[in-house]
Amino acid sequence: MAFPLITSVTEDEIDLNTLLEAITLDSTGAAAIFTGMVRGKTSREHPHETVYLEYEAYRPMAEAKMKQVAEEIRARWPTVEGIAIVQRIGRLYPRTPTVLIACTAAHRDTGVFEAARYGIDRLKEIVPIWKKEVGPQGEAWVEGDYRPKPGE
Amino acid sequence: MNRTKILFFATLRHQAGVRSTEMDLPEGTTVHQLKQLLIERFPGLDWQVMDHCLASVNQEYCDDETPIPTGAEVAFFPPVSGGSPTIL
Repeated sequence: MAFPLITSVTEDEIDLNTLLEAITLDSTGAAAIFTGMVRGKTSREHPHETVYLEYEAYRPMAEAKMKQVAEEIRARWPTVEGIAIVQRIGRLYPRTPTVLIACTAAHRDTGVFEAARYGIDRLKEIVPIWKKEVGPQGEAWVEGDYRPKPGE
Repeated sequence: MNRTKILFFATLRHQAGVRSTEMDLPEGTTVHQLKQLLIERFPGLDWQVMDHCLASVNQEYCDDETPIPTGAEVAFFPPVSGGSPTIL
């Protein structure tokens, strides 16, 4: 039986309840959900304020790489059943959820927490999505520092 | 000739000044050779930019030596920064 998998780059609001329902099975009793939202005030390292973030994606490649992240999760944590990976793009204001990674499994001690953590970390390395930060002082594209290997 | 679609994203889109273009490339053209052609065509692009960016051929990460197959889609973009906010 194939387990449910949702991968999506969307301009629409991230609907947590619908996504969770889609990856919940009779056999699942635990879900680890990570969601990241736009932070209006940053206090760590370089304190600053954010007016909004503008996300852009190379959509077909982003969705293909999200599927790859899901396959990597399944290879590492075979106990994970359902997986949802969703990135919202466009102009997003503080407090707005921008990304969601959710994994379901039979029990909570099966690695679901680690699987969701791996999913968000990996998304930030290989899924081609970028953001421009706009603040009171102007705007700047944010750049990652990971360089994927050919075919990765 | 080999009709190739080229896409630019984020800072590369700003520097090239376009989202996409098409070029006829000789068979066997590598990503490195395409970078040279793009630098000649777009004044906003230079080797510093093109050496720093990431590239994909048909939606797979590649390196400078990768040959571009017929009818390929090639994209240039900065290291990715999706997900949720990071520390700037």
